[in-house]
Amino acid sequence: MTSKTSTSFVFACKLSELKPNIPVAREVNDRFVVLTLLDGQVYCIEDICTHDGGTLGDGELDGNCLVCPRHGAKFDVRTGDAICMPATEGTLAHEVEVRGDDVFVQLKDN
Amino acid sequence: MTTAVVRKEKETVGFDRAGFDQFIDRRIDPIWITQSRKDAWAAFETMGWPNPRDENWLRSDLRGFKLSKYNPTDETEPQSVGEAPVRLLEGVEVAGSIRSENGVVTHEALDPKYAAKGVVFGSLSRCARDHGELVKKHLHAQINIQSDRFAALQAAMWTDGYFLYVPKNVVIDKPLHIHAGMGDGSVDISHALVVLDEGAEATVLYESSSATQDAGGFHCGGLELVVGARSNLRFVGLQDWGNDAWHFAHKRASIGQDANLQWTIAAVGSKFAQVDQQVALIGKGANSHVNGVLFTRDRQHLTYNTIQRHSATHCTSDFLYKAVLQDRSRTVWRGMIKVDEGADKTDGYQRNDNLLLSDNARADSIPGLEIKADDVRCTHGSTSGRVDEELIFYARSRGFTRQEAIRMIVTGFFQQIFDRISIESVREALGAAIARQVRQYD
Repeated sequence: MTSKTSTSFVFACKLSELKPNIPVAREVNDRFVVLTLLDGQVYCIEDICTHDGGTLGDGELDGNCLVCPRHGAKFDVRTGDAICMPATEGTLAHEVEVRGDDVFVQLKDN
Repeated sequence: MTTAVVRKEKETVGFDRAGFDQFIDRRIDPIWITQSRKDAWAAFETMGWPNPRDENWLRSDLRGFKLSKYNPTDETEPQSVGEAPVRLLEGVEVAGSIRSENGVVTHEALDPKYAAKGVVFGSLSRCARDHGELVKKHLHAQINIQSDRFAALQAAMWTDGYFLYVPKNVVIDKPLHIHAGMGDGSVDISHALVVLDEGAEATVLYESSSATQDAGGFHCGGLELVVGARSNLRFVGLQDWGNDAWHFAHKRASIGQDANLQWTIAAVGSKFAQVDQQVALIGKGANSHVNGVLFTRDRQHLTYNTIQRHSATHCTSDFLYKAVLQDRSRTVWRGMIKVDEGADKTDGYQRNDNLLLSDNARADSIPGLEIKADDVRCTHGSTSGRVDEELIFYARSRGFTRQEAIRMIVTGFFQQIFDRISIESVREALGAAIARQVRQYD
């Protein structure tokens, strides 16, 4: 998915709030994102299932993928790519920067 | 001797218990209304926000809506909404008009000729005091306040609204006009109640707008139309709130024996709209025509859940919704024809057509039928597609810009609905609203 990126990083959550392999939904600058701590790395994707426009935040992790709780679409939390039907289009993946115990994200324009 | 005047600032309260109590304290309502408000508030407090897994809300993302960002309108304070545009009055001579600002009626007028015939038209709060029995019989009779939290909030805290009563066999031969204006970041919780007695006839033009195109705000509205036996109602609604406004509404109509309702809904404004519309055909031979025009841009998200409910025999309902989508906007139309047991000879039709002007726009169309009678004719259809680039190429080869070409195509797409609207000024106002909405492409 092509998109522009805003220049600044904004605070998303505390690192200590993230538990390994447990997706956490957050509101950042009036946008909704899901943060996941996977293999010691924090990833951030847009909290929107491209299949039906609903939220992914209540979904569970299956390997590297966040599973949409409604219809089972899967998105790679590292890249936002759609891995499993019924989603065919990826969701946005945002840059993440960890500074001490703070997690910052750089939101892409969608 | 000098006297120090200490002015105590009014404490700003939100949509919480303290806010509701203050609201009730400053109102001058009949006891029955106060009680119904309290009942509705109790329902509001016990209910949660709509469940995103509920079919009606499945495609609506409410996470960005924060009720705590808004405060109830204090109707004892002067209201000002700036220059909220009025579109439907152009070239129209009206029989009466009402204007509200942030849900508070600030102007009401009715031609004395009609008042002498028993027509009542004006502020709902005032009419509830002056014509209590009439209002009490119909107010919130069709809207179930338990249906969701917005319905309960609206029933509890409507500040004012609009009431029209047309007595038996009285014909109002000029339109009545209602304009609801909302200031940037303000709240409009209002209710419209239209009651036509047997054989009556009226045309109502109801439009809403904000002071600027980018204005925000929160509208939570209710609309009830009671179309008595053999009466005729033409109702036109134009929703043109600012692009940052939240719009929630429950709209209901009940149509009696051999009565006709022609209802046109146009929505071009708000960033998010969730409208729950139901037409109940309750008398033999009742007839309803509903025309819907949706034109979206940017990131607008408009949801219309419609129900055509046939409860009597020989009734006709015809719903036609057309949507044009630009940019990353989204529309959701979920239509249902429900035919009750015994409602034979029903003729129900529903259709939703969507024209997408962008790769990133999205239209969800979900027609449905639920039929419990044996002898009915119910049909539905839906189409969605991109604009034909060959048409645009042809128009451009004739000297039109891309924007002009798209405007022509969009106007042509909506023509089927314009043909069904019998009021010329409404056709022109909708055409102008649509033309304004077309994005500059070149």
